[in-house]
Amino acid sequence: MPAANRPRRRRAGLRSKQTSFSWSRHRALVAVLLVFGFGLSGASGVVAYFLPAITAALNITGHQTTGKSGKSKGATPSPSPGTTSAPSQPFNVLLLGSDNDTKFEPDHVLTQTMILVRVDPQTHSVVMFSIPRDLWVSLSTGGSAKIDAAYSYGGAAAAIQTVENDFGVPINYWVWIGLGGLVQLVNQLGGVNVVAQMPILDDEYPSDLTGSNPYLQARIAVLPGPQRLNGVDALEYVRSRHGDILSDIARSQKQQQLLLDIKAAAKTLGLADVPDIASSLGNSVKTDMSLTQLTSLLPLARAFSDGDVNEVIMTGSPYFGSVIESDGEDALAPDWTQIDALVAQYFPT
Amino acid sequence: MVVMGLFGLGVYSILGTLKSSRNHSQKPTQEQALVYLPGTVYVVQGGDIYSLSNLEFTPLKAPPYDWVQVEPAPDGDLLAVAFFAAPSSYSNVYLLNSSGQVVRQLLQESSTQYFGNHWAYYPKVSPDGSTLFFTTDWLDPYAAYDVDFEIAAVPFASPSSSPTVWSTPNQYQGGDVEPIPLASGGVIYAKYAVSTAGATYAQLVYVSSPYANPVYLTTPAQDCSEPALSPSGTELAMVCTNNSLQATTLEVASWNGGSLGTPVVISDGPMAASPSWSPDGKSVLYLNTLLSNKASPFQLWWVPRASSAKPGAPEQVTENLNFTATSPAVWAS
Repeated sequence: MPAANRPRRRRAGLRSKQTSFSWSRHRALVAVLLVFGFGLSGASGVVAYFLPAITAALNITGHQTTGKSGKSKGATPSPSPGTTSAPSQPFNVLLLGSDNDTKFEPDHVLTQTMILVRVDPQTHSVVMFSIPRDLWVSLSTGGSAKIDAAYSYGGAAAAIQTVENDFGVPINYWVWIGLGGLVQLVNQLGGVNVVAQMPILDDEYPSDLTGSNPYLQARIAVLPGPQRLNGVDALEYVRSRHGDILSDIARSQKQQQLLLDIKAAAKTLGLADVPDIASSLGNSVKTDMSLTQLTSLLPLARAFSDGDVNEVIMTGSPYFGSVIESDGEDALAPDWTQIDALVAQYFPT
Repeated sequence: MVVMGLFGLGVYSILGTLKSSRNHSQKPTQEQALVYLPGTVYVVQGGDIYSLSNLEFTPLKAPPYDWVQVEPAPDGDLLAVAFFAAPSSYSNVYLLNSSGQVVRQLLQESSTQYFGNHWAYYPKVSPDGSTLFFTTDWLDPYAAYDVDFEIAAVPFASPSSSPTVWSTPNQYQGGDVEPIPLASGGVIYAKYAVSTAGATYAQLVYVSSPYANPVYLTTPAQDCSEPALSPSGTELAMVCTNNSLQATTLEVASWNGGSLGTPVVISDGPMAASPSWSPDGKSVLYLNTLLSNKASPFQLWWVPRASSAKPGAPEQVTENLNFTATSPAVWAS
């Protein structure tokens, strides 16, 4: 009997093992499904959180320009445009800022701000070189005009080509920002601290940021000294020039100052802040950098201190002296010998 | 499935909590001061005036204006500047009692004419209580766009009188601000200028009477402004950039009625601003960012022994707040 029972026991044992194996497999499968489910759910949470940022970032980045021929007076080494790791060679970025209120057609705006930035990752040095918007130059699109018109005739490509041709500096990347973009950026940072160099008074400041009439004026006053500015106040500080004897030169100084203040404020940001900031910028910021290139540059930007930054502003003579009359407006006649020497000093080949 | 859904929601929420503070701040009523200061201190944050007493902040019951500056006035009252926004923008000066109620309006700078609107900032009552000094804007009718600040004064008892102008600003260079009326009858103020090389700077100047030739108390290289005279009238606190575009130091120098002694740095930045003296003249209150983060909002700081002879070390008085750095704190006994 026992012998007769043995197979049954064996069968029972086998069934027991099969049941146990099946149960283990079932448990493993459930565990895998749970992990997969939670992983999928968690990933969905991550995607949902960063979706606005990804959408906005894709909107902001990757704006390709055509016509960057590199036919410049000089030639400096440039990083591969396709690289995804932080560049190790010096590279140049053209920062463009525009009044993009409703007075202007989109993409046919003047660039009141043109700052050529050279970053050297090896020496940890940065040069910010402001180009006066009233400089009379040959445009890449033909003819001569103030340099701020280059963008209005041919977008970023024309602005880049014009700067490359006239200044002999190859440009690796460009970033364009409109009025609203600057205001939103500063507000998203919670404000920026500046030491206002002097009182800024302007009774005819353009009141074109909001409202239906972009030709309205406003009275503004920014008090001097250390203070925290919100986006609108920061824009008033860097944009007003009427009451300043240095006019555009002072504006360039203040713009460079604000860039460093924004960099200081941005140091506290983390990855989780990206969605809010990217979403707020909307159509007010554009760049030809890809998202991965932009991401690779961020750690580099954090590594620089204010002491690593050389601020270069051409303050009149000898870089430009005489004035050219153009359509009833004054333009600055450049002395290219002097300007080329200055450029060669800060943008070595 | 529900738990998984909640997990996804949790991940989303946790990511939200990982956001940096982005230097955001609290209301003063949500925080306590870190240091006990005797008496009452008045400060401005976000358009409101707060009093600080026994470590606690209390909002003043002032009218719902956008308050941007507060200064001391006789009999424990306060001078307060209210900002009225664009497009015709102007600012008025009020006399408030210590609770914030309006005693009387001192300066009325609004107009139905666009260019008739004006700014009034940095109000100060003379030591004898007779004169209200302030900074106001002057639009040059013969120079397009030229608007500069100048120093003006009116009788404190009848401030609607026509003002006496005390200074001639450098055209298109910001102008003259921050008057400190002296017991001698003269005034110290900050005068802005632009050098031929294109550098902007401020110098403290002393004038003995309206339109008198200014005596320069500091050099262009020091770039000093925001003067505050001690109650004894013998020490002057000021903010100097020493040619830095991004940083300031708080300095104290002796004052003999005609010139300043060698200044001593009592706070090495990073953005020291708007000093004011304690009633006993031994300490200086000022605003500054955190030492480790110059992008942080402005907090109240003090130097307990603020003499130019033997200054003490600065101490942080508040945290997590965001005071208006262009308004000096008022320290009343």
